[in-house]
Amino acid sequence: MTEVSKTEINKKLNTDYKITWCPGCPNFRILESAKVVLSNLMKQGYKQENFAMACGIGCHGKIFDYLNISGFYGLHGRTIPTAIGLKLGNPNLNVIAFAGDGDTYSEGVEHFVSAGKHNANVALFVHDNQSFSLTTGQPTPTSEKGFKNKIDYSGAKLTNPINPLMLALSSGITFIARANARDVQGTAKIMEAAIKHKGFAFVEIIQDCIVFNIPINNRDKDMYYLKKIPATKDETIKLMQEYDYNINDGKIALGIFWKEERLTLEDQFPQLQNMIKNKIIGWKNLKR
Amino acid sequence: MRLNICIGGRAGQGINLVSGIVSGILTKHGYYTFNYRDYPSIIRGGHNFNILSISDEKIESHESRIDGLVAMDDLTIEIHKRELKKSGFIIPSDKYVEFGINLNIALAGALMKILGINKLILDEEIKNSVRKNPEESLKAADFGFDSVEKKFTLPKLNNRLQILSGSDGVIQGAINSKLDVYIGYPMTPATPVLTGLASTQEKYGHLVFQPEGEIAVANMALAASFAGARTIIGTSSGGFDLMTEALSLQGQSEIPLVAYLAQRSGPATGLPTYTMQGDLDIALRAGHGEFPRIVIAPGTPVEAIEKTNEAFYLSEKFRVLSIILSDKHLAESEFSLTETPKKPLEVKITRPVPGEKILKATSYEHDEFGNSTESAELTTRNGLARLRKYSEIKKACEKFEMIKLHGNLKSKNLIVAWGSTAGAIKDAIKNLDVKFLQVIYIKPISDQIKSEIKKSNKVLLIEQNLTGQLGRLIREKTGISIKQKVLKFDGRPFTSDTLREQIKKEFKLK
Repeated sequence: MTEVSKTEINKKLNTDYKITWCPGCPNFRILESAKVVLSNLMKQGYKQENFAMACGIGCHGKIFDYLNISGFYGLHGRTIPTAIGLKLGNPNLNVIAFAGDGDTYSEGVEHFVSAGKHNANVALFVHDNQSFSLTTGQPTPTSEKGFKNKIDYSGAKLTNPINPLMLALSSGITFIARANARDVQGTAKIMEAAIKHKGFAFVEIIQDCIVFNIPINNRDKDMYYLKKIPATKDETIKLMQEYDYNINDGKIALGIFWKEERLTLEDQFPQLQNMIKNKIIGWKNLKR
Repeated sequence: MRLNICIGGRAGQGINLVSGIVSGILTKHGYYTFNYRDYPSIIRGGHNFNILSISDEKIESHESRIDGLVAMDDLTIEIHKRELKKSGFIIPSDKYVEFGINLNIALAGALMKILGINKLILDEEIKNSVRKNPEESLKAADFGFDSVEKKFTLPKLNNRLQILSGSDGVIQGAINSKLDVYIGYPMTPATPVLTGLASTQEKYGHLVFQPEGEIAVANMALAASFAGARTIIGTSSGGFDLMTEALSLQGQSEIPLVAYLAQRSGPATGLPTYTMQGDLDIALRAGHGEFPRIVIAPGTPVEAIEKTNEAFYLSEKFRVLSIILSDKHLAESEFSLTETPKKPLEVKITRPVPGEKILKATSYEHDEFGNSTESAELTTRNGLARLRKYSEIKKACEKFEMIKLHGNLKSKNLIVAWGSTAGAIKDAIKNLDVKFLQVIYIKPISDQIKSEIKKSNKVLLIEQNLTGQLGRLIREKTGISIKQKVLKFDGRPFTSDTLREQIKKEFKLK
């Protein structure tokens, strides 16, 4: 991709909605990355009105009001079925989904583990700050062991975090990547690859919570970018297991861990092919 | 003339094929049939039975006393012998066991002979309905036919009939509405609509998808509808519970959605394959917050065709949730179709959709562009707009048949009921001094209910549930409490002969 600097962000993507994230929250960076990607894709001929986002409920979901593209701000945990529904209603939409770690790995985990099986052509971006923050600090499935929070004052000694990348791999998700929210250009690059992937693309974005989960912040020194997509599944697994979402546990690889091509959900329905081939704007405009 | 034949056996022995062949032949012969299917939640074994009711005039129910027993196993005789009339006949399976999987066909052959149907007609029906090894089946049918003596004579009648279940009605109604997308997760007794629409995808061009559960179903459906697809979801009682939060999302986002709810016996898993009208309350109120919706309860397959179409039409016009409320008895019983359904209304999507312009749908309270808000003023304005919709919807629904009156229209004895009980009630009140008010639109509800109740001397509420849920709604809407009730909640539908006696007793009729 061509690098797009902040000044080159397409102004049409901005809204005049007042941003209510905490000052300094990395969600600002994720929003910027999203705008960089969309600006870049629009330069490449993607139409603004053809983008549609699905958002969950949590801090991340506020992005819905700050990004001027179509979208469905659904229910907590239901971002993935919402995104797939948009594709079933109009397979020509470029669907991106913004979800939180609570959304994806807790309330809606049934959808996450089914996403690889369906393989709808959707890109999912998980803002993983390893805590429920909009509800003022409770643990999520990726909260590190020892996370002191309002439920477990002593630190969550009983539970270990899940590894979302491993879960994605064993669920058959066809594109698996990890990004660092603080690196706008690096994240944008991975997001673009995810949107262009033909099938379900999952990008786990490591994001600091500067209010409710301080210990996980500032992990940049442990992070490094993969030079290329691992060649074998064994290598992928090894890299995924380097970091288990606890605080001082290994290096944190960023980039694309896994990519394979498989028939998408939309491609498997003969009744959608005319719509896709002739770029018809959904069932509404299909003559049948 | 009316005959009730009980065909029973273990699950997997093919009793549906017997009733299918027999009702197929009788339909072509001009006879009205009604087939009740009773089966436990078992794939192989257990005890299944169908009651096939046959008449030379219109029927929409079965009776409790049987004229004939077709028994694929001894257990069937043991269980159903006491329901057999004195003059009744039994066709036991002993003589036909050598036919193996064609045992059911041999029994169908014997039954046809008893009913006085020509052998050539039987052979033709078997050729049409048996795909695998029809020669073997024909041999079994012929043997069965020759093994018994003729007992009845059924002359050919000039009625042009066709067999349809309530599920077929919903399928037809959805196709007539040009549905684009059906999303569902299997659950008895809603599954036949899922599989029925799946098998017709190629023919009509719609799309059927089964995701990971009912929560995914409802959320996916709203998004598909938002993107411009005429969308319907289907489920049964417990699955509907799971959809509840998404129904509330419909209320906030105002995206058109049609939901087919086929009730079964609850609470919880209850009796998975038996009928109940226990979910009217949740159909009316499921989902947090306050928002308008439409609840329609057809009582026959033809009504299911028409009302499913109206549900699509209203849902798109008012961007509301329309629920088609059915149950196992309507969904899985097979009726003779006598009337031609009304010409379907065109369901046209005129709203803009994403891709045409930038559009936002949201679960948050929002401004006119779909931006989230927490403003007290906007919240009040949006609430009032939702409230206005209730009366607009009611006005539109008044163009349709919200209620139906049956029986003796001058009678002062009034029965009030809804849904699948309509068939048994209509058959039970034939030639009685009774009027039957069938409530079809339950939300909004017709003002005529109050006036009909006021016109009557005695009012009897009949429901297939424990607490009389329609009765409570009528009391809420009209202030009238219906004291006389016949409530049945054992999972088994009303039989018209038993119900007739109960009605006569309640109204003190001779």
